[in-house]
Amino acid sequence: MPEGGGPIQVFESVCEDPYRVAREAAAGGRSVAGYLCTYTPEELFHAAGCFPVRIFGRDKGATYHADAHLPSFACGFLRSVLDMALAGELDFLEVVVFPHTCDTMQNLAEIWKHSVARIPSITITTPVSVGTEPAVRYFSEEIRRARKALEETVGEVSDSLLMKSIALYGAHRERMHRLYEVRRAHPERLSGRQMMATVIASLLMPREEHLPHLDALLAELGGVSGQTGDDRPTVFVVGNTCHNLDYVSMIEDAGCVVVEDDLCSGYRAFAMAARNERDPIDRLARMYLVGTSCPTKHQPGWDTGKDLVEKAQALRAEGVVFLLTKFCEPWGFDYPHLKEAFEGAGLPTLLAAIECNQPPGESFRGRISAFIEMLQTKS
Amino acid sequence: MYYIGIDVGSANTKAVLINENGAVAAYVIVPSGVGLLSAARRVLDEALARAGVDWDQVAAVVSTGYGREIVPNKTKAVTEITCHGRGAFALFPHTRTVIDIGGQDSKAIALSVTGAVAGFEMNDKCAAGTGRFLEVMARALEVGLDRMGPVALTSERPAVISSTCTVFAETEVVSLLAQGVAPSAIVAGLCNAVADRVHGLVARIGVRAEVTMTGGVSKNTAVVKAMERILGVSANVPEEPLIVGALGAALIARELGLKQAT
Repeated sequence: MPEGGGPIQVFESVCEDPYRVAREAAAGGRSVAGYLCTYTPEELFHAAGCFPVRIFGRDKGATYHADAHLPSFACGFLRSVLDMALAGELDFLEVVVFPHTCDTMQNLAEIWKHSVARIPSITITTPVSVGTEPAVRYFSEEIRRARKALEETVGEVSDSLLMKSIALYGAHRERMHRLYEVRRAHPERLSGRQMMATVIASLLMPREEHLPHLDALLAELGGVSGQTGDDRPTVFVVGNTCHNLDYVSMIEDAGCVVVEDDLCSGYRAFAMAARNERDPIDRLARMYLVGTSCPTKHQPGWDTGKDLVEKAQALRAEGVVFLLTKFCEPWGFDYPHLKEAFEGAGLPTLLAAIECNQPPGESFRGRISAFIEMLQTKS
Repeated sequence: MYYIGIDVGSANTKAVLINENGAVAAYVIVPSGVGLLSAARRVLDEALARAGVDWDQVAAVVSTGYGREIVPNKTKAVTEITCHGRGAFALFPHTRTVIDIGGQDSKAIALSVTGAVAGFEMNDKCAAGTGRFLEVMARALEVGLDRMGPVALTSERPAVISSTCTVFAETEVVSLLAQGVAPSAIVAGLCNAVADRVHGLVARIGVRAEVTMTGGVSKNTAVVKAMERILGVSANVPEEPLIVGALGAALIARELGLKQAT
């Protein structure tokens, strides 16, 4: 397992102060584009010369400013993002991007226009139904519209620069998939926390800066061959967004290995398909409109429950933890079906309803520990 | 040799001392207060003193409860879920569902036929529907906590308490008193409200007979009766429901001790 120094230390230090890299980039004169969800075609913003940074909100603290604008059933994640913006903590952003996904995201985009007008926003309406030709055409037009808006605020986006950005992000994604593969085979070489730090840091650093560190990590970890000596119970973590590394630490400290995740702030950030359309915008639209477990999207013929169960079985996961930010409506509606799918396949589940913008507490530790004890007794 | 289970809960700290055959030699219950460590030390010492057992005759100590990490000289810390499951199964070997209503949390635990935990649910958003809720209401109504059950059972027309927040429910109680509603009807309404609240948890794991209720609130006969009515099954209630978690911990300690000895 990687010790102090090296790429992991870089990633952990980025995660400690999530927006430091972005603030420094902005201070150095680079345009920074903040985005809130994996359905943002980051390459477009990168091609305009921006550093696209994922905004997760804060790690702790109250949200007095945002509470005046949002109902109590809005999730803590977007509440925290709005609070940061209202408190002036996101003033390093030149533009913010709202992909239309859940209701709260859409409403936040509208609130933003009035209440955080000093940071211009671009809304990209992502189709609800993905994977169909009309959806791809619609999304292409939306990306073209975003390109125009971006050119008016930040700068020109040429096709050739866009292709370069697509190539950079593609190369990075390919490396991330390789990292996931190595970890699947050898979870003992990289802790769940270190894996999560690598993932989260990639969303908080310019991809071109993350890539060499990622390559160094891959070289350090070696290939997929060989037997894993890890006999801890294996847990598959599924859910929405959680950038606080302490959650994964607490799960693994209870005596298991987080064998893989299917989180918006994790694996799904790299789920885009590799495509080769000649037109870069069409290519982006097809890359991004893939079926995932994101409950705001629907793909005809795609069953998220079946897909996740197959993934869990391929990973030989012994249990599933739903890491769900409270008041996330779309996940709340999907959860009963997904729980049933896992449990129908003999996989025990735990619902860990969390406030992802607050540190994990004793109640989280207690639930996780009880769940791991349950898995240990079973095995 | 002897084995100790100690449950450091939010309201009370409990210790159970068992012998090699698993029989209870002594148990002690004290309020947890703010000094969890001294409460833990006190129950350990008192349990040994009551049974006339020396520390060197104790082979293993397992701690549980939210203060489980604070317990000195523990062999292992185990969660309340596992311990309540184990304790309830030892007392009632046909238990498939455990409903534990403690001071600050309530849990529903599904057990397999062998007594292993097969699933569980805990209250996660607030502590309404727990012992603390009834404590607050007992104070507001000037009814002793231990009298709430018998008082509630005298009411033929329980009031309906609709607030799900402890503080707002207290306001509702005051308002009902002002309207002249009999305190017994209000107490009955509160007991029903606790059972309704916990029913939500039990429904998520699916109720299977036999049901065993543990934790301090199961001493309240009105809550137990309301729970039985809602679930449509009768519930086992141990003679001393407060010590079920500590008993489970002691049985796990015995298992660990016997494993070490072989």
